[in-house]
Amino acid sequence: MADFEAREPESKVQLASESGGAGAIPTFDVTVQVRRYNPEVSSEAHWDEFKLTMYGTDRVLDALHKIKWELDGSLSFRRSCAHGICGSDAMRINGRNRLACKTLLKDLDLTKPITIEPIKGLPCEKDLIVDMEPFFQAYREIMPFLVNDTHEPERERLQSQEERARFDDTTKCILCAACTSSCPIFWTDGQYFGPSAIVNAHRFIFDSRDDAGDMRLEILNDKEGVWRCRTTFNCTEACPRGIEITKAIAEVKQAILARSL
Amino acid sequence: MQVHKYDVVIIGAGGAGMRAAIEAGQRVRTAVLTKLYPTRSHTGAAQGGMCAALANVEEDNWEWHTFDTIKGGDYLVDQDSAEVMAKEAIDAVLDLEKMGLPFNRTPEGRIDQRRFGGHTRDHGKAPVRRACYAADRTGHMILQTLYQNCVKHNVEFYNEYYVLDLIMVEDEEGQRRPAGVVSYDLATGDVHVFQAKSVIFASGGCGKIFKTTSNAHTLTGDGMAIAWRRGIPLEDMEFVQFHPTGLAGLGILVSEAARGEGGILRNSDGERFMERYAPTIKDLAPRDIVARSMANEVREGRGCGPNKDYVLLDLTHLEPAHIDEKLPDITEFARTYLGVEPYTEPVPVFPTAHYAMGGIPTNIKAEVHSDSEKTIPGLYAAGEVACVSVHGSNRLGTNSLLDINVFGKRAGIYAAEYAAGADFLPIPEDAADDTLNLLNRIRKGEGSEKVGQLRKELQDVMDADMQVFRTEETIHNAVRKIVELEERYKNIQIQDKGKRFNLDLLEAVELGFLLELAKVMSVAALHRKESRGGHFREDYPDRDDANFMKHSMVYRDDSAEMEGIKGLRFDTKPVTFTRYEPMERKY
Amino acid sequence: MATPLKTKISVPRSRDNTVSGVKYNRASSKRNNFEMMAWLYMRVSGVLLVILIFGHLFVNLMMGEGVHRIDFGFVGGKLANPFWQVWDLLLLWLAMLHGANGIRVIIDDYAERDKVRFALKIALFAATAFVILLGTLVIFTLDPCPAGTAAELLPSFCPAP
Repeated sequence: MADFEAREPESKVQLASESGGAGAIPTFDVTVQVRRYNPEVSSEAHWDEFKLTMYGTDRVLDALHKIKWELDGSLSFRRSCAHGICGSDAMRINGRNRLACKTLLKDLDLTKPITIEPIKGLPCEKDLIVDMEPFFQAYREIMPFLVNDTHEPERERLQSQEERARFDDTTKCILCAACTSSCPIFWTDGQYFGPSAIVNAHRFIFDSRDDAGDMRLEILNDKEGVWRCRTTFNCTEACPRGIEITKAIAEVKQAILARSL
Repeated sequence: MQVHKYDVVIIGAGGAGMRAAIEAGQRVRTAVLTKLYPTRSHTGAAQGGMCAALANVEEDNWEWHTFDTIKGGDYLVDQDSAEVMAKEAIDAVLDLEKMGLPFNRTPEGRIDQRRFGGHTRDHGKAPVRRACYAADRTGHMILQTLYQNCVKHNVEFYNEYYVLDLIMVEDEEGQRRPAGVVSYDLATGDVHVFQAKSVIFASGGCGKIFKTTSNAHTLTGDGMAIAWRRGIPLEDMEFVQFHPTGLAGLGILVSEAARGEGGILRNSDGERFMERYAPTIKDLAPRDIVARSMANEVREGRGCGPNKDYVLLDLTHLEPAHIDEKLPDITEFARTYLGVEPYTEPVPVFPTAHYAMGGIPTNIKAEVHSDSEKTIPGLYAAGEVACVSVHGSNRLGTNSLLDINVFGKRAGIYAAEYAAGADFLPIPEDAADDTLNLLNRIRKGEGSEKVGQLRKELQDVMDADMQVFRTEETIHNAVRKIVELEERYKNIQIQDKGKRFNLDLLEAVELGFLLELAKVMSVAALHRKESRGGHFREDYPDRDDANFMKHSMVYRDDSAEMEGIKGLRFDTKPVTFTRYEPMERKY
Repeated sequence: MATPLKTKISVPRSRDNTVSGVKYNRASSKRNNFEMMAWLYMRVSGVLLVILIFGHLFVNLMMGEGVHRIDFGFVGGKLANPFWQVWDLLLLWLAMLHGANGIRVIIDDYAERDKVRFALKIALFAATAFVILLGTLVIFTLDPCPAGTAAELLPSFCPAP
């Protein structure tokens, strides 16, 4: 890298004309339909409709908060970081799996009501909250941890930049389940390992420091493993982190084939 | 009510909690109680890096790191703990690498390092490349790696169990010790008691006291408030770090790594204003200085945008490929949330509440102090919830990730060792009564106040009066408002009366925590009539070592009074010095 | 920090260990190469079938007078030739297995209950076996010159009746 002091060119930007994305914030009205379910009250789910006035930079999560804090406190959903890092608030927004905190209202079609449902394929517990345990069970089964029994060096294990780049994409996973719960194969009976588990296996299989790739490939050569992937690309489209999931699954398939043949 | 028995109970599954769990879990029977799924913890939002004097890319040593930490904390740092942290940083990074953390690499295949605010070579001569990183998602990688290793070691997690109380009892020698914790299972609404020989608090910070914050919605200071309610003092609560570069209006963090990689802050004249405030290290000055400088630029009318209420972070002179490689996530935040393209446009930024330097007082073994001298056997704290104090009055960037790893590990080891040689204390019959009463009172509340409204008013007043600049008057205003809100809080009503996933109920409980911590914070700020690190008093703009070179300790005491506010007692704790004499802090 | 390698993965002791509900129990694993081979077969047979089918279509529909010359004589003549016997046999087997495996996959993907899956698969296998056997039988036993048929309907090599 160039020396710190040397690299200080003039800004390329004309500051006077720069608006910076902020400004007078427009407001607009939205109609939000939320799928409600509370087994304490009724075994049937139903839709609730809310009309809200929101601001230009508001996200779907802001709309849900507005409902919860001002209109109906019983609306239940998970959220934490509110900027797409923690993976708490994956939900089906207008029929697509997204993170509520990364979906700006202005990017949705506001002429129609926005529908919000829990993610599919996992048992719904209440409103937008699903039971994540089956999802994490699949994750745990692929041995999501580095295995290296060779002599431990005093310093770090060496890894070239190319080796590090090999699995970079799949390290981005935040375990939000948007991919797995968008997969029609997973919807059938929940037995398929699911894209997320395979992504996390990929992260270790292609890590040059790991020695248990063979075991993970063996695990994913299961009846419910990678071969159930039908390459519908739902997962890749759903991933809020932009991971090329279907490609990662294909790479795992190829690795299993290469190992077997 | 169910009772569970574990040798060690860890509250919180962020970086510190899971690092402790990996150590304790391999030694004794350990449970981790967490109000979120572990991978949701806010450690994952940390971006820039984790400093350790590995000297992989240029000359460095841990003593320089210690000095930077102490100077960065404006000398209110306990120097013994800073030495421990800087020294053990190297192993902490190597441990993580061996656990599988995918650090960025140098061409030789070693862990790569980059510059970060306040980290310098040879006691302030020039910025040094000390931060080990994995793109701009170092925290994410740490959180994932620690969780992966918890899975590997079969750590027992109780997910979505809110700890609401700490059970303190007297043992035969009259020593108050923890006997366990009371927790609330979110899924069922049942209260569970966990009996434990040692308890580790690792529940994180309380950033949600403020409106503009980089913190998660769930960072409501639960651990601090629970300890405080049980008579444990809180140390240095007046010191809150405001991160200079939050996305304007939103508070979402834009890592200091953006400046470490060459990003420049500019005002409405396009001027690189940090040259005036910190001539040597400019944009890489410690966060309190940069945040204050930014706020000052805006105050003096050199802010940008239609309301002149933010400054600009300029990355446009960097190569897009370089940005993509080193700062992919934060540039995406700018695109997603502000619609700004960082390749060609500067990003609007403004300081955002980021980190509580204060917390539960601990020593270098992560043992919790019951007062300025004594510690409580069996009670530990690590991470943001604790105050060791390595951060003093201002934390340096990356030192929080270091803190959780070094002191999380220590807490895990010492707690397990203590538990191995201790007996369970009996749980009193009425151990869960306070919690049940609290929950019942809120559930049955018939008042007219809404939790969301009260929280909003609290956050608004804290943003207005307790932010980067404080005066006697603004702090008084905040305290008055908090006292008013506490009264109104007694009169709340929630809508969700059910047992299952009742987040309405828990938000009300959390608001109670926030109000108490806001009060402690404000009253401590009122008492500290000087400016130091993250605490800047315009009416006392200078550091006053003669009167205030000491930690503040605020106790809950219904019979006492502090700065005219009932229910709090004030005390101090001396700062530990080893070899660094306080100097003026210039960069 | 040396950590022992866990060769066998047990589900970590989480709170759900006590829940015996079906939803947490993943099916016992079946680790053999069948699914991999099936997956591979679909790709390989797919490529072969493209050649076989287009070859078949080209010969039957485009060469010479094209579709208009197809009659019993044409078909019988082709099937008397060992080259076309092998071609059609490959076409039959590969296509039937390809199709049957495709339907099996669809059954797996869309039939949620085990009993329904089982019933559908039995029907599928029976139908597939029937067609394959019948087809094979025809390919090898077709008499191109059945007695008592008008000569213009038969292949040219048939002896005059």
